[in-house]
Amino acid sequence: MGAVSSPYLEVKELRKSFPGVLALKGVSLSLAEGEVLALIGENGAGKSTLMKILAGVQPADEGDFQVKGEAVSFRSVNDAMDKGIALIHQELNLCGNLDLASNVFLGREPTRGGLIDEPTMRREARKYLDLVGLDLPVETIAGSLPIGKQQLVEIAKALSSNARVLIMDEPTSSLSQKETETLFGVVKDLREKGISVIYISHRLGEVIELADRVTVFRDGENAGDLAGDEINHNNMVKLMVGRDLSEFYDRKVHESGSIVLNVDQVCTPAFPASSLSLEVKSGEIVGIAGLVGAGRTELLQTIFGVTPALAGTIEICGELLALDNPRTAIKAGIALAPEDRKQHGLVLPMSVRENTSLPSLKRDANRGWLNDAAEAKVTNTAVKSMKIKTPTNEQIARFLSGGNQQKIVLGKWLAMKPKLLMLDEPTRGIDIGAKREIYKLMEKLAGEGMAILFVSSEMEEILGMADRAYVMHEGTIAGELDRDQLSEESIMHLATGNLVAA
Amino acid sequence: MKIKYALTCAFLSFSLFFFAGCGGDGTSSQSDAPSFAYVTNGIDPFWDLCAAGVRIAEKEFGVSCEVLMPPKGVVDQKRMMEAMLAKGIDGVAVSPIDADNQTPFLNEVCQNTILITQDADAPKSDRLVYIGTNNYKAGRALGGLVKSAIPDGGEVMIFVGRLEQLNARQRRQGVIDELLERPMQDLDQVKFDSVDSVNLSAEGSKYVIVDTRTDNFDKAKAKSNAEDAMTKYKDLKCMVGLFAYNPPACIDAIKEANKLGQIKVCGFDEQDALLQAIQDGHAHGTISQQPWEYGYESIKMLKSIYEGEQPANKYFELPFLVVDKSNIKEFWEKKKKMAELGKQG
Amino acid sequence: MKKNILGIFILLVAIFVITAMINPKFLNAYNMQNLIKWSSLYAVMSLGVAFVIITGGIDLSIGSVVGLVAVVLSICLKLEGMDPWSAIGITLALSLLIGFLHGVLITKAKVQPFVVTLCGLLVYRSMGRWLTDNQSIGPIPLEGDAGYANLEQIQGLDFVFSGKIAIGSFNLPTPAIFLFVLCIAAAIFLRRTIWGRYLFALGNNEEGTRYSGIDTDRMKILAYVLCSFFAGIAGILFAFELDSVQPAQTGEFYELYAIAAAVLGGCSLRGGEGTVLGVVIAAAVIRLIYNSINMVGISTHLEFGILGLVILLGVIGDEFLKKTVARKQAAQKA
Repeated sequence: MGAVSSPYLEVKELRKSFPGVLALKGVSLSLAEGEVLALIGENGAGKSTLMKILAGVQPADEGDFQVKGEAVSFRSVNDAMDKGIALIHQELNLCGNLDLASNVFLGREPTRGGLIDEPTMRREARKYLDLVGLDLPVETIAGSLPIGKQQLVEIAKALSSNARVLIMDEPTSSLSQKETETLFGVVKDLREKGISVIYISHRLGEVIELADRVTVFRDGENAGDLAGDEINHNNMVKLMVGRDLSEFYDRKVHESGSIVLNVDQVCTPAFPASSLSLEVKSGEIVGIAGLVGAGRTELLQTIFGVTPALAGTIEICGELLALDNPRTAIKAGIALAPEDRKQHGLVLPMSVRENTSLPSLKRDANRGWLNDAAEAKVTNTAVKSMKIKTPTNEQIARFLSGGNQQKIVLGKWLAMKPKLLMLDEPTRGIDIGAKREIYKLMEKLAGEGMAILFVSSEMEEILGMADRAYVMHEGTIAGELDRDQLSEESIMHLATGNLVAA
Repeated sequence: MKIKYALTCAFLSFSLFFFAGCGGDGTSSQSDAPSFAYVTNGIDPFWDLCAAGVRIAEKEFGVSCEVLMPPKGVVDQKRMMEAMLAKGIDGVAVSPIDADNQTPFLNEVCQNTILITQDADAPKSDRLVYIGTNNYKAGRALGGLVKSAIPDGGEVMIFVGRLEQLNARQRRQGVIDELLERPMQDLDQVKFDSVDSVNLSAEGSKYVIVDTRTDNFDKAKAKSNAEDAMTKYKDLKCMVGLFAYNPPACIDAIKEANKLGQIKVCGFDEQDALLQAIQDGHAHGTISQQPWEYGYESIKMLKSIYEGEQPANKYFELPFLVVDKSNIKEFWEKKKKMAELGKQG
Repeated sequence: MKKNILGIFILLVAIFVITAMINPKFLNAYNMQNLIKWSSLYAVMSLGVAFVIITGGIDLSIGSVVGLVAVVLSICLKLEGMDPWSAIGITLALSLLIGFLHGVLITKAKVQPFVVTLCGLLVYRSMGRWLTDNQSIGPIPLEGDAGYANLEQIQGLDFVFSGKIAIGSFNLPTPAIFLFVLCIAAAIFLRRTIWGRYLFALGNNEEGTRYSGIDTDRMKILAYVLCSFFAGIAGILFAFELDSVQPAQTGEFYELYAIAAAVLGGCSLRGGEGTVLGVVIAAAVIRLIYNSINMVGISTHLEFGILGLVILLGVIGDEFLKKTVARKQAAQKA
């Protein structure tokens, strides 16, 4: 496959810390010309941080960074682009209102006499769109394209700036099977042309198909490298997790009790055409798997009353609820630890105490007067039981690590003693230690009879934690899998739109 | 801890004012030369010309005088005069913005210093004297200008900033009375036509005052008022601008409508654009209050009262000047000189 | 938060001392009384807008509300001869209604606060002018007015709202008492009740607060109601202070003074920050600057310029302080 010569890009012992977190504890990585290197690791392992450093989004604290044997330190994305390194973002950055040519040359428009030289721009854009196999007219408006094609435009944009290294951060997370195949074709093509790719993914199957070499990160450190035949599922997981799966997810099987949540024929505003039904019993941990954009988050938000259902019924413990805002849901005993923790879960500039007590303030208040004693009690209980690592209860939530922030979110809900706890990507951006604590907590709460419903994009998490899982695809529930039916293959099968074969 | 700190801050701030206030009581003035304040009713080139007169008087009489221009109405006027009182000023000449309702405050000023009014009066207050143009007479003179501009009669429209001000009402009434051949009224007891009366006319008069438009000192509004007037009244023969910026706004609008000469303009005061138009024959004439005389006479009056003389009369009438093509040249020269002098202050 | 008050407090003292050194007459009782009076009048408005700014909103209509309230009060008292206390009640009810309207339009009809209150600014101003035919008016009836019969009572009100209470040789202006009471109430509301906490929370992160089961819409409406209510009280105070209401000018521009004071006093226009005391001191600083300019004898044409620069420098200094604090905190953590 790719010719392996002296490394085009090399980093050694790179360190980076953020307030409260040591994100990179000295990682190394090398990339040859025309090589596809897969970078894998759990969330919080430091992949994204490293990518941002490589692409000039943020500087490293210390360590060596060389491009073609020459030491560099990027101060901006432009510095990185000058050295031929381009990052294809997880969230696409195209201007939806502009056409393809304008997007490809955004900020670098060819000019003549101070005006945009349209013909040249179009001609050049054509060249690069062809390179990624896009045969659409350059006048097409970018916003009208499906995500997969937009991504190809992004790649064309990077190539047009003479990129020699493409960094792709979870490029397939929102692509269909077919789009994924197209993308793979393009990546393989580029490799032939001597362009290197750093490919970040959670999908181990893709990594096996695409990568020449695999570098695994764990907890901000190198966990090991794999090449050629060594690249297989078991080796990768072992390096990522650091131990066997069964050990990490310490899951007992519980007796499930009566039905707590019953969702019947509910239509969410995001996918008004499809209706969803599911149920969760007390003491049960139910997972919802599926690709990003399959409507999982929207379903939880509808159950929580954020975006009221268009049709159908939702019952909690047999009681029919009109859920039109979170207040009603909370009153009925529902809690949600949302996916977007910083936006929806916390009030970042406020303290641990103020965040933890926010939902219970009213319950504990005396005719509107704050009840300091009750507030302190709620906070102390949460800090203790969640093992929130904070210097004081007055610490501003922004300055805590992702794991501790998530614990605050859980702590504030547990003070409300919910019957149903919903978690949306409960361990995203959280280090391994905190992750384990959160799994243990889920386990403990289920043991105490709480019903738990969680959404996860991490295959291992669903496999390890769920008693039962629903798999969603494009707004519908594609299938339901019991614990003994759960496997990576069965989930991916349903998640990509094939009906369960069994 | 936090609360204690906040309370300390609050307490300190308050006591700062309080004890400072208790400590240095008394408003006696120690400086040798008397110091006066000349307070306008707003910011306007008119007041810069007045300031020129103040400066001349300052030198001539050996006094010092601050010219204060409140930017935003009654509040600022009150605030500035209070600050002057606090400074221990020896006398104030003011153009009150809302005479009737300001009376209690003006009386408070009277108790502390010499107060005279100028430009606009506050007849119910205890001010010692009012220095002013007889705006009614000036209005009639302006009416006379209109008559000579359109001797065959026709539709006339009046433009003014605000009609709350007595001087504006008097000027307007003077114009109306003159055009409608009404008898001369006494300044103290002028009877006013209602503010929104339209199409005023009288038997034996060739003139119709179709409307009076106000713009609340908004210059852009003043111009659009003039434009609207031309749209609405096709036979309009003459525009009368009662405040300094009104005539130039009218001339502008007329020029853009290509009606220069067809619609005559008669104005008040002496903005350069109006003077230029008079020189060019695009405007007929104006009534100048010779603002520098306001400044000069005010300071002269304050000084003489300060030295113990009682004014002979509660009302000191300043003469106004009718400016038209015949005397425009020398008038403009003088104005330029005064504007230069006023700016230096 | 400590640093916020400290900064503005130092600014206050500095201007105070410098002015006093240049012109010792600055310190006389009369001038101090006036300073306290004007500071109180403007601080009441600033306090009101602080509620809205804490939620991350803005209210541009304050000046027009002050004007309209002053107009309506004057009409009720002077022209209609209404019972004075009912007149006060009606005007305050009007201000509450205006605030409620703003809140509903912003939360339920989802119009941006800037737009709603900008339209309010225009509408209330023109209502005031229309109600009076743009003629000056005052709350104190003169002979011949319908309200002349109530003159004694109205003069009583005049004393309540713009009188002076002798404390030794010092005459304390009554608006200062109003400010004091409102200040305490506002501070207690913001710091000691759940609603105050909710306002801060929603100003920092509205979605997050909603996800915590708080009726953010209702809280926002409350903030606008409080803001207009404070503006209404200020309108009454101004009407009695000036005895003269010019429908086109009274209150014009005041929203900007109020917002400037709130920002200078440590509120962030992004929401979620602010202290009562900071806002009040900042309002006093603004009035102090005006007074100093006159006392020192600087050309009055420079008033706005100096004010603008002081606010700008104050806010920049504040931002700088905050960053330093944040950096220190981050350094401690790492």
